Amino acid sequence: MQTEKKEPILSIHNLNVWYGDNQILNSLSFEVQPRQVTALIGPANCGKSTLVRCFNRLNDFTPNFRFNGEILFKGRDMYAKKTEVTAIRKKIGMVFRKPEPFQCSIYENVAYGARISGIRQSSQLDTIVQKSLQRSGLWNEVEPILHGNPNQLSIGQQQRLCIARALAVEPEILIFDEPCGELDPIETVKIETLVRDLITDCTLIFVTNKRRQAARVSDVAGFLYCSELIEFGTTEKIFTNPQDTRTEQYVTGILG
Amino acid sequence: MNALMTRPELRKKIALQGIAFIIVGAALIFIWNDLKKSGATHIQTSSASRVSGILPSLLSDLNLILPISLLAVLFGVACAFYLEEWLSATSWVRRFIESQVTFLTEIPSLLYGLLAISVLFSYAGVFKEIGTPSPVQDVNESGLAVVPFQRNTTMFYAEALIFILMVIPVAIKTTQEALRSVTTPIRESAYVLGANQWQVIAKQVVPLAFPSILAGGCRAMSRALAAAALLIGIHIPDHTTGPRGIPDRFMLFLGGALLLSTISSFLKKSRLETSPTATARHD
Repeated sequence: MQTEKKEPILSIHNLNVWYGDNQILNSLSFEVQPRQVTALIGPANCGKSTLVRCFNRLNDFTPNFRFNGEILFKGRDMYAKKTEVTAIRKKIGMVFRKPEPFQCSIYENVAYGARISGIRQSSQLDTIVQKSLQRSGLWNEVEPILHGNPNQLSIGQQQRLCIARALAVEPEILIFDEPCGELDPIETVKIETLVRDLITDCTLIFVTNKRRQAARVSDVAGFLYCSELIEFGTTEKIFTNPQDTRTEQYVTGILG
Repeated sequence: MNALMTRPELRKKIALQGIAFIIVGAALIFIWNDLKKSGATHIQTSSASRVSGILPSLLSDLNLILPISLLAVLFGVACAFYLEEWLSATSWVRRFIESQVTFLTEIPSLLYGLLAISVLFSYAGVFKEIGTPSPVQDVNESGLAVVPFQRNTTMFYAEALIFILMVIPVAIKTTQEALRSVTTPIRESAYVLGANQWQVIAKQVVPLAFPSILAGGCRAMSRALAAAALLIGIHIPDHTTGPRGIPDRFMLFLGGALLLSTISSFLKKSRLETSPTATARHD
């Protein structure tokens, strides 16, 4: 764990989010340090996904979305008027609960991000594709079928393909929104090991509603409950010595 | 997706459709022979010419339908893209247009024909112009000779208006449904890689929705064709032999509509067959 870096990569100040009249998030403030896995835990419908979708401005597409507060990415306001949204999204990648490969070959899936960034040379694309697939541990499995349909892969492989796709644009932050929600235990272990490996390259935010998974994977954890951030601290502290009674109840399994 | 079928089921359905199509086609041939025997194919069916068989009707219908329908379908598709991709769901413009489109698609096509006759033609004073006799041509023995094509312009515009009214709402609706079938997760996974809206539409939405859009366009045109059978009412005052010309034209329109709707249903199936997506497997 590297705690010597003082500059947070992402800092959230007093964030409130509404969908219409429903308040989804209520004055959250915390900071994400680089090169760490930050887990966000909490029961369903407590606003975890909404929170991480604020980080790459995916909520812009949600009708009735309103917010106030501040999200700083490397010290710059992410919601400032002159911010380029596509540039932000290239820096902050995301992997969803359900893998959704595009309807093209495995190679094209991984190369997609590089292509839209304007890389045309096939040698360069080949390198990027190979590197990303090796990084996500899928290269050996898909090398012979690189130009085949991604639908022939198992769902766990598809999820790792989505991770490779996200890695291909070299994001600084990678958000995992319940990446193991649809996977079996063996694939889950693979993803968890992968997540631990990836902190050498980027900062990770890991959303899950499985307490033990969060304990295994993360360095820092935040507990969300009923649209509030109850507690935020190192994983060790959250799971062994929680300050709030609700956190204690949640991690011990009494609540939620 | 509620229309998911296994391959044997699909083959059975396609086979049944083929058989139905052949039966209807055979029936059409019998009707055609009957009409020919009774001389119905020789009667005047077009206001533009004294001497005609079915060919002038066919040509005039194609001349009317193809350009207008294509334009209207293209316009409808463009409208649907604008509504679905650029306007937010809460925008009052979108809600207003969508309610109007739903209203227009729910109107039975019969009423459009009535509208055409009662409103447009009475106010446009077209009936006066229809009566103008056109020069008599020499009768060819086959009855299928191409006669010089003449078109009453005022009537052309009135018919065109009705066609556009019929085609555009259906095209908008079917295209919107096709666009909605491209799920939000697919779009979002492209957006999180840093794609902008144009890239998402060009690379993700259009390739996935294209077969459905094409099928929707065919459906819109077939609906217009089927309803156009009613427009023959407009030609009646000019028919010297009265409504005997109707079956001829009517069958033509129905045949065209049937063909187009069959094509559209095949297009929809081919989409299901070619993309057994992850969605299909896990839902």
